[in-house]
Amino acid sequence: MARRFLTAEDVRRANAPEIVVEEGTVVTPQALEVAAAAGIAIRAGGGAWKEPPPDRGPDAEAMPQRLPQLPEPRDNPALESAAIVTAVGKNRPGVLARITAEIAAQKGNVNDVSQKVVEGYFHMILTVELEPGASFETFKTALECLSSPEDFAVRVMNERLFRFMHRV
Amino acid sequence: MSFSDREILETVRMVELETLDIRTTTLGISLFDCADPDLESACEKVYAKVVHHGKDLVRVAESIAGDYGVPIVNKRIAVTPIAWIGAASGAEDLSPFARALDAAAREVGIDFIGGYSAYVEKGFSRADRALIDSIPQALAATEHVCSSIVLASSRAGINMDAVARFSAVVKDTAARTADRGGIGCAKLVCFANAVADNPFVAGAHVGVGEPETVLNVGVSGPGVVRSALARLGPEADLLAVAETIKRMAFKISRVGELVGREAARRLGTAFGIVDVSLAPTPAEGDSVADILELIGVDKTGAPGTTAALALLTDAVKKGGAMASSSVGGLSGAFIPVSEDAGMIRAVEAGALSLAKLEAMTAVCSVGLDMVAVPGDTPASTIAGIIADEMAIGVVNHKTTAVRIIPVPGKSAGETVEWGGLLGTAIVQDPGRYGCEILHRRSGRIPAPLQSYRN
Repeated sequence: MARRFLTAEDVRRANAPEIVVEEGTVVTPQALEVAAAAGIAIRAGGGAWKEPPPDRGPDAEAMPQRLPQLPEPRDNPALESAAIVTAVGKNRPGVLARITAEIAAQKGNVNDVSQKVVEGYFHMILTVELEPGASFETFKTALECLSSPEDFAVRVMNERLFRFMHRV
Repeated sequence: MSFSDREILETVRMVELETLDIRTTTLGISLFDCADPDLESACEKVYAKVVHHGKDLVRVAESIAGDYGVPIVNKRIAVTPIAWIGAASGAEDLSPFARALDAAAREVGIDFIGGYSAYVEKGFSRADRALIDSIPQALAATEHVCSSIVLASSRAGINMDAVARFSAVVKDTAARTADRGGIGCAKLVCFANAVADNPFVAGAHVGVGEPETVLNVGVSGPGVVRSALARLGPEADLLAVAETIKRMAFKISRVGELVGREAARRLGTAFGIVDVSLAPTPAEGDSVADILELIGVDKTGAPGTTAALALLTDAVKKGGAMASSSVGGLSGAFIPVSEDAGMIRAVEAGALSLAKLEAMTAVCSVGLDMVAVPGDTPASTIAGIIADEMAIGVVNHKTTAVRIIPVPGKSAGETVEWGGLLGTAIVQDPGRYGCEILHRRSGRIPAPLQSYRN
């Protein structure tokens, strides 16, 4: 196993114009400072040392194989990025149109709609399938931006949350 | 897959109105490779490793909160007990490690870092002693560092020398943070049968047998259980009460499981455990005491409270165990006095005494948590309170803890405000009798017999 760290003390002790470390070595910020002040170059793998990705250990290496195998309550893996949109507010003409227009603009496909109006307030739930590769966050932000305190409120949640919570 | 409107609205209600949240995502980082005979180099490595591994934690937690619409309240890091890492340096004062951890916590933007810790249930190594002696200084000089000491276990018994030393440390820590109501003690806890994968502070640390890095999640949701019980009403029988709590605990824990898996995947680390705990906050409704009162006691602390809490803790564990195959940590119901508005009300009303609280800890998941006592309480009395709590854990093979704050300059009945998640406490009366002789005796209370359990 390669050395894990290069410390300021190591740099001082090396007393050389160049220090070569194995890839994956963490050079401490203090070591970098001392090296820079003394004009010492720290190299790894043929070039200047760059912070390596964190080595999370043997268990982490096994995780990519392990995680997908954990049972997940889903019947359609294609729905990986589906969203549940809920909206509540005062009922007025064009509310549904405004929300669905934004969903369409975000290239979402509405799979299911349910709407109720009780005493002048509407309550709407939409299940929306996102385009493969579409960013959930962009979709969520775009939809939630439609909310205004005096009109209606939109909330977007990931469908996976509901699967976990309500399906065994 | 389609969901009924009822299911969808239930989830939305839990998040919007019932303060369902992920209480903490805690990244555990092993520091064993940071040991170094040179104290300064060791601290340097600790800082570098924590920053190296922890720098993405906040970003990942926030991206998950955004994607799934569930708030993640705290982002924390837990590390290997510093006594084990500091031992190689031979230093008499290990507080430079605390400063390195604090600087790293600031750098990566987390709330707390746990692991200024030692295991001394049977005896002290030199480093254990050095660590314990440096706690008051370390906690006064840092903001984010939490310290935990293991004083007892069912296999080793109770190290009363350590209990005595720890109670002196508690007093000293309170004195050094006297200007802030002794708040240093809120970051200091002792344990019997500590768990190595606890994601909650102040007891978070990465024990032996844990991976290089590991992501643990602590869920919360007293508000969800409380509302469900309120809807169930006072006529339902206790099996229905237990069933309702179980169902809610299942749903809450599933959210923890989802967030834990996702956070581990995005960080590229091993996923450890979901700690299925009802952790209250000072927010109205987010209270374990309210749940106990809905189960049917007039005020928390009244007769019946321990039974109600036993039912609650057990039902939470059962629901959680079904929801996740990796339940761990403390898992149960927390009863931190100052952090729970209902508990404060019960103390105010004179319903909840320190003695009753101790009885409750025999069936809750942690112990005497965030309890304020007068600043002039003798160290021997604090040691007695700790020893009692350790005994409950040791004999019942459960985790118990004590986080006690002798508030400088305050006497019983007075109020102390710590603010934020730590809340407000009413100073409780430990009684006027002490245990001076017990305190003066040194040695260990032997481990209990495993059989003949009556």
